[in-house]
Amino acid sequence: MARLELHGISKRFGDQVAVAGFDLSVEDGELVTFLGPSGCGKTTTLRITAGFETPDTGSVVVDGSEVTGLPPNRRGMGMVFQGYALFPNMTARDNVEFGLAVRRRPPAERRRRVDELLGLFHLEHVAGHYPHQMSGGQQQRVALARAIAVEPSVLLLDEPLSAVDAKVREELRTEIRRMQGQLGITTILVTHDQAEALSISDRVVVMNSGVIEEVGTPARIYAEPRSAFTAGFIGAMNELPVRVASRREGLVERAGRRFAAPGATELPDGAAALLLVRPESLEPIEAAAAASEERPVLRGRVDVQTFLGATMRLFLGGVVWGAAAEGDHEIEQLAVDVPSSAAGRWPVGTELSVAIPVGSSRVIAARTAAEAAAVTRRPGSART
Amino acid sequence: MTGSRAAGAFWSAETSGTARAGRGSGRPPAWSLAVLVVSIVYFFLPLLGTAAFAFSTGKVFTLEYLAQGLTDPDALGSILLSAGFAVSTTVVAVVLVAPSAYLVELRLPGLRPVLDFVTILPFVIPPIILTLGLEEVYGIRGIFNLVGSPVLLVGGYFALTLPFVYRAIDNALRAVDVRTLTEAAESLGSGPFRTFLRVIVPSISTGILSAALLAFTTIMGEFTLASLMGYATFPVMLNNTYASASREAASLVLVSFMITWLSVLALALVARRSPTARQVATAR
Ligand SMILES: Nc1ncnc2c1ncn2[C@@H]1O[C@H](COP(=O)(O)OP(=O)(O)OP(=O)(O)O)[C@@H](O)[C@H]1O
Ligand SMILES: [Mg+2]
Repeated sequence: MARLELHGISKRFGDQVAVAGFDLSVEDGELVTFLGPSGCGKTTTLRITAGFETPDTGSVVVDGSEVTGLPPNRRGMGMVFQGYALFPNMTARDNVEFGLAVRRRPPAERRRRVDELLGLFHLEHVAGHYPHQMSGGQQQRVALARAIAVEPSVLLLDEPLSAVDAKVREELRTEIRRMQGQLGITTILVTHDQAEALSISDRVVVMNSGVIEEVGTPARIYAEPRSAFTAGFIGAMNELPVRVASRREGLVERAGRRFAAPGATELPDGAAALLLVRPESLEPIEAAAAASEERPVLRGRVDVQTFLGATMRLFLGGVVWGAAAEGDHEIEQLAVDVPSSAAGRWPVGTELSVAIPVGSSRVIAARTAAEAAAVTRRPGSART
Repeated sequence: MTGSRAAGAFWSAETSGTARAGRGSGRPPAWSLAVLVVSIVYFFLPLLGTAAFAFSTGKVFTLEYLAQGLTDPDALGSILLSAGFAVSTTVVAVVLVAPSAYLVELRLPGLRPVLDFVTILPFVIPPIILTLGLEEVYGIRGIFNLVGSPVLLVGGYFALTLPFVYRAIDNALRAVDVRTLTEAAESLGSGPFRTFLRVIVPSISTGILSAALLAFTTIMGEFTLASLMGYATFPVMLNNTYASASREAASLVLVSFMITWLSVLALALVARRSPTARQVATAR
């Protein structure tokens, strides 16, 4: 129950920069996730917060007082490790009680608190079991109960769900959120699973090679990613190369057509840009329907259908803007989500036209030189 | 020598135990049965011979030599002396090695090759050289004069048992994730001493027990160092009486075997009851 601040944290291992200039404030009772690809420095940042690593620069501040120099056992933070790290020689009950014993709480109080936590995590029936006698999900719940037992100022979770199967993961995810909200513990959760990050966080910190790419609520980050990196990392996203035609009017241009796109007013005239559209935003239309400034149109051939449950994802190949001439293939692949019940209308091999509805797309600056080079090689790819 | 043979028996007992736990059911292949039979014959034939020699007058069965051997005050004293050295060395070795191995594993992994090398050295240094070296360094010309003090023999025995003790404890430490367990304990507020005693030691208890047992049995059967430093330990006593009262000596050898085997049995039982050992066995 505290406010956590990280100021200008940097850490390198030899030549390898793990974290660089990391600044973040986590409000009291907030749940923040660190999301990013493998090796982007999530664990390192978390371990610096916990005190297991010393940062090269920067400070860790809890409720206004600096703890950067304190050893982990005097920071009063709780940590849950990826591999549970339960004490193998102790039962579930003894594991949960350990931190209370360290704090020399009276036995009666300890018993009450442990019972309460075992109840909170539905562990009463395995209280007397040793870690090896419990399932992965149960072990992870014991690990959570153990970390929470001591009422930590900040709870740090390093990929707590990566070692359990998909169903348990979803259950535990909800449970973590419920427990965290109920107890109001300031929490940082590390994950590389975007669905997990979006589903339980108050805010998501998207990280990329040691730096914060952006910070925002799940809804904002999903709807309006501010960088190509975030766009590609979170959810499936079509990236269509365009050029800014008029900054003043908010128009972009492609294949001789101009159309309005949110975000264009923030980029200079003539700039190379990416138009981002979610597969679920694209609207199948009749082939004859005309494109307009409000509603650009794309056309392609269905190459692959993948079943996602309620929706079917169609991957279109040989995609062109509007009714442009044959052979003017600009986009290799475009993902379009349609209701599964309607998917029969577009079997593999048929042509499909889609419109980009007003307000469902967004323009961001094209990638840096290296990124742009990669994009020219593989234009308009849909990432999942 | 009693010690090394007991150690051999101990290792084979442990290995077969693991195999059983790991595989559960299924018939072992024929060649492994053959190996088992040959080993049993190899281990037990000398024992049977000794028993036949100790419990007969050459024609009829008798317990007379055993009774004589056991009532001899010299024999009893020498067994107690050996046990005293064995217990004190075992305690010293475990108390020194366990925390050191833990610290190296946790904070100074770079030192591991050095430790591996140092703990192998006693194997390649003949006991007689070890004794002479110890008496030189800790003799009149050394910093302390320890010659004549039992401390010197305990020191020598410590060096002698270091390879077993270090390896048994280090193996156990590597089988558990020492670093993560330590960090978990620290994050719960535990200081280094509590972490070591309450979390690490119980997690490696099986390794510590086997280390202790190996050290104990080695010293119970150690002859060269004791003899050179002039202590009438059990093996030295046996050697002295063998010529004059060989049947009594043989019966005492059997008694010492029984003692060692009972401790091995006790260890196996403790190991089976410990949750850590079972967890490690299941994990394999
Ligand atoms: N102890 C270490 N020694 C050397 N390099 C390290 C160490 N710890 C981390 N690194 C390096 O720092 C970078 C960031 O590592 P970190 O473990 O923080 O990544 P991560 O985002 O947690 O990745 P993952 O999702 O795979 O767990 C990596 O390139 C890694 O190789
Ligand atoms: Mg990590």
